[in-house]
Amino acid sequence: MGILRLLLLSSLLITTAVVESRPISWSGGSTLMYKTNSMISSYYYHFSPSYQYSIGAEYINDRYFNEQYINIRSTYLLDRKNTKSSQRNLYLTGAVSTKKSEDFYYGIHGDWETRRYFSSFSAINKNTVSKDFSEYEMQLGVAPYLGDYNELHTWVMIKTKKDTLNNEWDTYPFMKLFKGDFLLELGTKNSHWDLHFMKRF
Amino acid sequence: MYKIFLAFIFLFTGSLHAMDNPHDHGSHKHNNMTGVDGSKTVLDQKIYNEFIADLGTSQVVIIDVNGMVCDFCARGIEKTFYDDKLVKKVLVSLEKGKVLVAYDNAKKVDFGEIKNIFLSNGQSATGMILKKIT
Repeated sequence: MGILRLLLLSSLLITTAVVESRPISWSGGSTLMYKTNSMISSYYYHFSPSYQYSIGAEYINDRYFNEQYINIRSTYLLDRKNTKSSQRNLYLTGAVSTKKSEDFYYGIHGDWETRRYFSSFSAINKNTVSKDFSEYEMQLGVAPYLGDYNELHTWVMIKTKKDTLNNEWDTYPFMKLFKGDFLLELGTKNSHWDLHFMKRF
Repeated sequence: MYKIFLAFIFLFTGSLHAMDNPHDHGSHKHNNMTGVDGSKTVLDQKIYNEFIADLGTSQVVIIDVNGMVCDFCARGIEKTFYDDKLVKKVLVSLEKGKVLVAYDNAKKVDFGEIKNIFLSNGQSATGMILKKIT
């Protein structure tokens, strides 16, 4: 497998660690995340000093390239609109890596949701030692039933994403479950399971 | 496919405009009360009765909230209110878009303070009413 192909594969997998739902907690709140797929695992902790931004550190264990590094990540809320039945958000996000000083990314992330429907998009520019490229992602979701507070909530989601390295959209379904302070995302892509666990406190 | 991405953003922003002016039909069984800021608050009597059933002498605040569409995003509301030792009970209703808070009578209820609690959690408190339980 050529080095370019390895880089492409790696970039696709790293994409899953870039954007997640609920990137900022309540003022003074913390979030702990664990994510794993066929090639990498990551642990991410972030703290929200206010409802407008969060800052955190993500430890990444790249099993494919056998390397470990830390991303220092931050997200800033650019705009929020609350209505009785919906909320929309626009975020600025970015990170620097301990791997190389040239490794960093930045971009925007927006979402809109009601109790029934969810949609989001992101556009991220990544700078690496070997390549600079952009990543685009969209998510759509629907809740098959409407749970109230403290009940189990279930979302059926679909995600599509691509980067400017291979210019192909990669689309796959996943499920999102949450109850109380716990959230679990479970998806399958290329015959491998993607797992994303989140706890707020 | 880049056009699909742009189209999605276009639809996303369009849906925002459509959803920014919701129309709430309310429910058939409700209790009409005028909020401190003059707004109308509609609350199911059943929810209210269940909430106050085991309360002693208290003050109950019924708060209208915008942006409370997700359980996971609303977790901080309960936590922040319970930081106040004078809070006896909190109930979050995603369905009604309301939060009920029971305070000890010693509490001086301030809508500005309540608005800040919701703001710090990412939602907006748009009105409230205060009822005394004797």
